[in-house]
Amino acid sequence: MAAAATAPAVSRKTETYTDTKRRDDVRGANIAAARAVADAVRTSLGPRGMDKMIASGDQAHEVIITNDGATILSRMSLVQPAARMLAELSRSQDAAAGDGTTTVVVLAGSLLRRAQTLLSAGAHPTAAADALHRLATRAVDVLHGMAIPVELSDRESLVKSASTALNSKVVSQYSSLLSPLAVDAALSVVDPAHPDLLDLRDIRIVKKLGGTVDDTELVRGLIFDKKASHAAGGPTRVENAKIAVIQFQVSPPKTDIEQSVIVSDYAQMDRILREERNYILGMVKKIKAAGCNVLLIQKSILRDAVTDLSLHYLAKAKILVVKDVERDEIEFVTKTLNCLPIANIEHFRADKLGHADLVEEVSVGEGKVVKITGIKDMGRTATVLVRGSNQLVIDEADRSLHDALCVIRCLVNKRFMIAGGGAPEIEMSMQLAAWAKELQGMESYCIKEFADALEVIPYTLAENAGLNPIAIVTELRNRHAKGEKNAGINVRKGQITNILEENVVQPLLVSTSAITLACECVRMILKIDDIVTVR
Amino acid sequence: MTSSTVAKQDDLMDRRIGLRLSGPTLSILCHPCLAGHAFYRNTGVRLIGGIRGRLYHLTALLFSLAWICPPGPRLTFSTLPWLFFVQMERVLKDDAVEEKGERARMASFIGAMAIADLVKTTLGPKGMDKILQSTGRGRNVTVTNDGATILKSLHIDNPAAKVLVDISKVQDDEVGDGTTSVVVLAGELLREAEKLVNMKIHPMTIIAGYRMAAECARNALLQKTMDNKENIDKFRSDLMNIAMTTLSSKILSQDKEYFAELAVDAVLRLKGSTNLEAIQILKKPGGSLKDSFLDEGFILDKKIGIGQPKRIENAKILVANTAMDTDKVKIYGARVRVDSMAKVAEIEAAEKQKMREKVQKIIGHGINCFVNRQLIYNFPEELFADAGILAIEHADFEGIERLALVTGGEIASTFDNPESVKLGHCKVIEEIMIGEDKLIHFSGVEMGQACTIVLRGASEHVLDEAERSLHDALCVLSQTVNDTRVVFGGGWPEMVMAKEVDELARKTPGKKSHAIDAFSRALQAIPTIIADNAGLDSAELISQLRAEHHKENSVAGIDVISGSVGDMQKRGISESFKVKQAILLSATEAAEMILRVDEIITCAPRQREDRM
Repeated sequence: MAAAATAPAVSRKTETYTDTKRRDDVRGANIAAARAVADAVRTSLGPRGMDKMIASGDQAHEVIITNDGATILSRMSLVQPAARMLAELSRSQDAAAGDGTTTVVVLAGSLLRRAQTLLSAGAHPTAAADALHRLATRAVDVLHGMAIPVELSDRESLVKSASTALNSKVVSQYSSLLSPLAVDAALSVVDPAHPDLLDLRDIRIVKKLGGTVDDTELVRGLIFDKKASHAAGGPTRVENAKIAVIQFQVSPPKTDIEQSVIVSDYAQMDRILREERNYILGMVKKIKAAGCNVLLIQKSILRDAVTDLSLHYLAKAKILVVKDVERDEIEFVTKTLNCLPIANIEHFRADKLGHADLVEEVSVGEGKVVKITGIKDMGRTATVLVRGSNQLVIDEADRSLHDALCVIRCLVNKRFMIAGGGAPEIEMSMQLAAWAKELQGMESYCIKEFADALEVIPYTLAENAGLNPIAIVTELRNRHAKGEKNAGINVRKGQITNILEENVVQPLLVSTSAITLACECVRMILKIDDIVTVR
Repeated sequence: MTSSTVAKQDDLMDRRIGLRLSGPTLSILCHPCLAGHAFYRNTGVRLIGGIRGRLYHLTALLFSLAWICPPGPRLTFSTLPWLFFVQMERVLKDDAVEEKGERARMASFIGAMAIADLVKTTLGPKGMDKILQSTGRGRNVTVTNDGATILKSLHIDNPAAKVLVDISKVQDDEVGDGTTSVVVLAGELLREAEKLVNMKIHPMTIIAGYRMAAECARNALLQKTMDNKENIDKFRSDLMNIAMTTLSSKILSQDKEYFAELAVDAVLRLKGSTNLEAIQILKKPGGSLKDSFLDEGFILDKKIGIGQPKRIENAKILVANTAMDTDKVKIYGARVRVDSMAKVAEIEAAEKQKMREKVQKIIGHGINCFVNRQLIYNFPEELFADAGILAIEHADFEGIERLALVTGGEIASTFDNPESVKLGHCKVIEEIMIGEDKLIHFSGVEMGQACTIVLRGASEHVLDEAERSLHDALCVLSQTVNDTRVVFGGGWPEMVMAKEVDELARKTPGKKSHAIDAFSRALQAIPTIIADNAGLDSAELISQLRAEHHKENSVAGIDVISGSVGDMQKRGISESFKVKQAILLSATEAAEMILRVDEIITCAPRQREDRM
């Protein structure tokens, strides 16, 4: 491969013969495969992006409709190694920023296309890769230059950026409802002790079929997607609740060592039944004695957590029972209720209970849920009840809400916002192209090419919105050249406007991580010259 | 040995390549002996015994060969030696294959060179990566530049190629870096040896020449080493240079200063021990490589139990591997027979009581942190929470072993003698968050040199490769701390050695000098490949470099970035002497070993069923 124009001072021809045929082939095949993946998700970019229906190939024939790049790519069963790298790229963006998962793949695809041109023009792959690295660092600087600082107290800005994330989703018409909801949920779990940390695991999303997305609500408290136990007409509504989370079982005793009860005559049978009854009654009495009136019981795999008999006694004692709470939910539940789990009946004390104003069973759609509200000293958690008319919508709403929450998390981590609508990309492209002119040799050439590649985002946005992409992109370029840094594509009006006025904003972290991750991935693909099959 | 055959080497080569590439089917077709053998069986000649039979057999074979292969000089010359093979068949089992003399040597040469050529392109700062695609389940993909990793995962049949894979493995274990170089050098040595063999020089003569040359090269390098052991600042900058040189050919090349700093800090903490176990490398996807950081202490990827303190100061840690569900009676079929429910309840209570006692015993050690390899069930977890003890369940094997090592504790499994159990200590235990995950951080640990490098990166591929690169750098650095001699990089050591070896060749009379000459050419092949990989004109560069080195005390090497011959001292490109020495010696030894081979016997695979 000739590095003919690496630098004018040391330009020399390659005279040696190297067999590069196969190497080019592998690289070419990798680039082609990766670009094919990028093209597959390209149409789902932007507010007017289209959705994909994914049918799983197995027996279940599960169908998913989504617009989320990470979801699409993770469901595609890719085999080609380079294509899989792109799918993984989108997953990393999901982990790092949560949003922009399509953008990052489209960006990588476009960079690869330019890289291919460069390679065929005789650039050495490592020269292109190094140029790409410098470009990424510089691009991040450009983005920082156009970022707008934001305060967490500025609820309105947060809502704006959340709604930008939601606008490209199926549920975009509900963005006015969902985005404030996401912001409130996120802000309510931010711990004042660690103001720049936001753990999304503290926000629980409960999905319930029925109603429409409009009925989605943020619950200040806790929701169990389960019925309260009705076995013996126990209470379904308890005020001034004292809640216990128990990890033991209210059922006949069972030992770890194998045991058998030997019954030798009829009279003994009666006695055993009586004993069992007394045993359970004793437990229930102890529970009642501590003042508990709501019991959350952890699911047990070893034996029945509750039996009909114990439910009967608990109902008699006017205790509301929710059974089958999963073990991994316990931490969330105890954190929210500000109580401690109880693993043994002997430890059942009043100081381990949580307090709430109201625990009630509510019917939601066709099912019922248990709602706990007015919790005293509630932990920093939030629960969102997502509703929808069918499972597909609910799932998509869930994914969209997750994206919106991630956007807020980005803003919590890094409190800067940036304009949306293709504005940052075109600005980067222009500034980098200008910078390329200051450089020399191959690097300058590569950076020029890659800078052009960034225009793919506004181009695709316009294309997906049914606008004339060339007219839009050139006008956009023109406006940015005039110094309107925040001019972007207004998809709704179909023209170029100051995108900040349209409230289209996104967190800085999404853009910076998209460009750095895409560059890193492309560099890696460029540097591969062989595929070796191994064990 | 002078060549016993008059076969044309090229023809043989071609045929071997054919064999190598196209698998067993073709090999049966091509193998002249087997073809004859088949003929001989089919025609039932075997029935005729005695000398007459043998004669018949020979004629039949000759006939069959003449019949199968196109007539011509090739046939008569190259197949004649194979006739002697017929007798051998009686010695070996039916399917055992034997290759002798020229052919055996040729097979090893070609195998070794094929391996060397495979990894050749990864050499140097502009070397390329390879995708390793697994054929196993999941078809996992690894992207790597590390020679040892590539070679380790290959399917290899050729015995000589296996030797090369082994030396790369040994290089990895011993010094950690130079795994590609050692294979490439061995490959080049064999390539040169092949030419010499074709010139009818006996392999033993070549070996003798190689030995002399290697000794001479080592001495030449030894004289030019630099040692900055006394000067701490200079030594540190040496280490930095070495780390950067190692990293520059890897994925971390763009952030090499940053990572070199990380690696040097980590290794200097070790204070001369080569125990890299004290350096924990933790991979967390997300962020970019620049977000990686070095942290003193130890990080465990686990969660703290519910309701337990999230931060502990002056922790006393008990590391254990014990069942925290119940101590089961391990006798098969043991069971309890009772006649009433109350008794079952009693037994249950007794079991609970046993558990409670166990927990009490553990608490009795005066600890405030308990780390168990096995699960801790709800009941003991609550007991620990009540006692204000931080309990971590289900830590992995490696995790607890390392934790025990760095905190200075011992892994306990019985708790009856609190005085005999060694507790671990650390200043602070707290929950930290990296990316999206919560981890437990032990800082101020007993073993002061312990530290953790947290790697962040775009994807698993990047992280895995970054870990391999960093591991290489750490290995080299820890070796350099013990053996502080340093040489320049960028092809400088090879050229220095080549120059001395050249001199030696001129002084040495006899056939050996050819071999010594060849050694010098093989050494020069390394900078040639580095230049080729960077797309530079290697012929031009190497000749310039050689001219530079003709002057006394030259520090010239190839500067790949600017594509010219440059001053290695100014560029700060250094390598560890120990690595270079290991490359030289083990490559020579491997080449020697392969050269000595004159017969390859492939044992018959065990038969699944008797065919006859």
